[in-house]
Amino acid sequence: MKDDSNKILIKSSTKNLAEVRQFIEAKALSKGLDSQVTNQIILSVDEACTNIIKYTHKYKDDNTIEVQVHDSENQFKVEIKYRGEGFDPNKVKIPDMVDYFKNYKIGGLGIPLMKKFMSKIEYNHIKPDLNQLILIKSL
Amino acid sequence: MEDFNIRETSNGQIKILYLEGFLDAHTSTILESTFNRLIDEKSYKLIVNFARLSYISSAGLGVFMAYIEQIRNVGGDIKLCEMSDKIYNVFDMLGFQLLFEIYKEEKNAIEKFNTSG
Repeated sequence: MKDDSNKILIKSSTKNLAEVRQFIEAKALSKGLDSQVTNQIILSVDEACTNIIKYTHKYKDDNTIEVQVHDSENQFKVEIKYRGEGFDPNKVKIPDMVDYFKNYKIGGLGIPLMKKFMSKIEYNHIKPDLNQLILIKSL
Repeated sequence: MEDFNIRETSNGQIKILYLEGFLDAHTSTILESTFNRLIDEKSYKLIVNFARLSYISSAGLGVFMAYIEQIRNVGGDIKLCEMSDKIYNVFDMLGFQLLFEIYKEEKNAIEKFNTSG
């Protein structure tokens, strides 16, 4: 991982989530984002990558995930590219949390956190076997 | 390398878990194993102290959801305490205080177990 790069490529394994978080933190802090916003972006990118590792790549680490930060004045944008079966977080319904807790449900909280913490999420199926997830935080 | 550790102490029948480091999809299995062992040992009065936890993702939250019903069904509880604002924000954003007792200080969680069982 080069410090001056806006992009990292990781093997699709949960053991690499720490590297993704450190990459996003370094980029957010170098842009001068405050710690609360930085933490929200870090968590959202972690949740997105975790879902890809778990559900798309099914923990097979011969797959890869590319994470790229696009910097602009009024937004912090993270683009995540991965191969395999894609999913659009926008199509996932946010659970009613009263019902969730009442019924002791388990799982399914990653996308609700992403949606609460990011300003916008875009999903594109850009090639037959290539997916693009874009997490945008308005500043 | 970010890491995750659990230190464990007892206060009477109460087991107190001190989480330290980063609790994510990679490290959450360590917390699962700890809960499994405590249940095997019939320790059902559990306090989790978050003072030294730096990070939690939904995988970490999921561990608490996975065990709370089972532990309450046998008369126990998992009480949470000493969260930094950063950690509390994640629990709070999803409304975890609807299901879990979250205390500012560990002594308050101990007191609650001792007064109400």
